Amino acid sequence: MATFVDRYPEEASVVKACLTVAFVSLGIGAFFGLVQALHRTGVVRLFSSVDYYTVLTAHGVLLALVFTIFFLLGLFTWAITRSLERPLPNIRLTWAWVGLAQAGTVATAAAILAGFVPDIGVSADVLFTFYAPMKAHPLFYAGLAMFIVGTWLAGADWFLAYREWRKDNPDERIPLQTFMVLTTMLMWYLATIGVAVEVVVFLLPWSFGIVETVNPLLTRTLFWFFGHPVVYFWLMPAYLMWYTILPKLAGGRLFSDPLARVVFVLFLLLSTPVGIHHQYLDPGIAEGFKFIAMTNTMFLLLPSLLTAFTVVASMEHGARQRGGEGRLRWLGALPWRDPAFTGMALAGLMFAAGGFSGMINAGMNINYLIHNTLWVPGHFHLTVGTAVALTMMAGSYWLVPQLTGRKLYSRPIGLAQVVLWFVGMVFMSNAMHRAGLAGVPRRTAEPQYNSFDFTTTMGSIEELQLQIAVGGTLLFVSVVLFSFNMLASAIEDPVETPVDDRLPAPLSGADGSPRVLDNLRLWTAIAVVLVVLAYTLPLASIVQDAGLFGNVPGVPMLIGNFVESLAGVIA
Amino acid sequence: MRLTPAGALVLVAFSVPVAIELRTLFGIFGVALPLASVVVFEAVLLAAIAVAYVASSDSDADAAAKH
Ligand code: HEM
Ligand SMILES: [Cu+2]
Repeated sequence: MATFVDRYPEEASVVKACLTVAFVSLGIGAFFGLVQALHRTGVVRLFSSVDYYTVLTAHGVLLALVFTIFFLLGLFTWAITRSLERPLPNIRLTWAWVGLAQAGTVATAAAILAGFVPDIGVSADVLFTFYAPMKAHPLFYAGLAMFIVGTWLAGADWFLAYREWRKDNPDERIPLQTFMVLTTMLMWYLATIGVAVEVVVFLLPWSFGIVETVNPLLTRTLFWFFGHPVVYFWLMPAYLMWYTILPKLAGGRLFSDPLARVVFVLFLLLSTPVGIHHQYLDPGIAEGFKFIAMTNTMFLLLPSLLTAFTVVASMEHGARQRGGEGRLRWLGALPWRDPAFTGMALAGLMFAAGGFSGMINAGMNINYLIHNTLWVPGHFHLTVGTAVALTMMAGSYWLVPQLTGRKLYSRPIGLAQVVLWFVGMVFMSNAMHRAGLAGVPRRTAEPQYNSFDFTTTMGSIEELQLQIAVGGTLLFVSVVLFSFNMLASAIEDPVETPVDDRLPAPLSGADGSPRVLDNLRLWTAIAVVLVVLAYTLPLASIVQDAGLFGNVPGVPMLIGNFVESLAGVIA
Repeated sequence: MRLTPAGALVLVAFSVPVAIELRTLFGIFGVALPLASVVVFEAVLLAAIAVAYVASSDSDADAAAKH
């Protein structure tokens, strides 16, 4: 029985090209993660604190942007090809976007890493959020722009593939994986408008010296317009794997196809009009707008809870197929020996914890307690750093053999790797959350202050520092094991059937779901309307206060002020 | 139900957050436990997992012997 690489050799090469970039970034990014964890806890200091932002920028960009998104590019190419059961329509276009995204990545990474050598005169210590007032060398923004255009072309490629398929299959439902890819890309097109305007209109001209000033609040708001939905761009590949691969690994089938479609539609609708929840403490945005963003955010919990339900139900179904019984004893019947399964299941478990700390972040008033503290990295190492990253690593144990036609080198090492990630992250993230509650700031090499001691509710700060350092070390070892396993798998001998790659049909199939779910035009239109509603007034008020390029002082604090000044303008 | 080595490994992993958070739980009720208590909690949990593992492979061996 042939696998993916035998059926679609060219597409398999594309996926491998994407995953290679992802894994190399993961390795380098994890190294920086270890170095900074040891540095800021004072355990081992390998470099000067002056270079901290270079390290932190490299860590954030390589992991949160490059690793995750390149994995997505590979996974989605695989998913489109196998679920439409046909090669991509224009492989030259495909290689063009791969090349563009890779070239952009190299440019951006070079701009960041050049920061270690001051003599070059290039640096980009702007962190992965890169909004003003921190300014990078133009190379950084140019690379970023190429990278984003690369993702746009990738989306176009997948839409073209879908259109070809539609011509031959006018009445069929969109295959589930294709549906997931297309809705995710529609969300991405909408979301990246914000960052494209930010980079092309403001940051790039500013960094070239064509314009003198920018309006920092405007660039921040445009960034977060993109910055929240990007988290769903990270998550959707993980969701795709949880919905379509995990049930199979568990020995069963997806519980409900319609529910999966509903979830992806909800993410398309709700991902973007919430970005202002990252700006609860920005003084220039009226409280009323923040309140609207908070309300939308709380609605976003719904698709995540639906996912938790569907995924656990599918796992239970799988366990019972394997002979599991009882109310909880079925858990023991799950295939824990399989690193792909165990990694994804542990990632899902940590995501639940991340969801809870996310609710704290999302609440406008309690956000003030944790804003800009170490709590926040504690939170997102559970979400993007584990739910996404660990699912991607675990998924690779099942996916990569299909791309190479070679067996996984070692399942026990794989199992040790995912378990080690879980334990390391428990240590690091738990201590980060607790340190954040004590007020320890994030994004600093030297979290200590003169004549001030942080007070923890329990235990000592030193204890938390140590916990972070130990956790970071375990995580790094986990990445080393992963890289080793992948490399060793690449030189195994090719075999006929490296892995069972069949995906069974869902228990409740697409036939039962309303046709309207597949109406992508409708959902896109509603998503656009929601974004217009959520952003027009805040953006207008920001521009009105300080100008497009920023020079007018004074910012309103309450929505009342804004309405008054609007009335003033009209009168 | 037999506790497999992989199942036991996952339980060991899961015991770590439980041990850490037990101390937090006590903290909520105003009982400030020292760091050593986490070590003790964890040791107890590991011992429990070890007992469950040995017991389940014994009962498995019994079951096999009967056949
Ligand atoms: C080897 C594993 C890892 C270690 C030891 C680690 C460690 C750290 C530490 C200590 C910080 C906080 C630095 C500070 O605020 O001063 C941090 C920040 C961050 N980490 Fe990680 N991390 C790891 C893996 C990951 C992964 C897998 C991702 C995402 C896929 C990730 C994404 C980020 C991001 C986005 C930041 C924030 C950067 C910023 O504030 O600009 N990390 N990491
Ligand atoms: Cu957000």
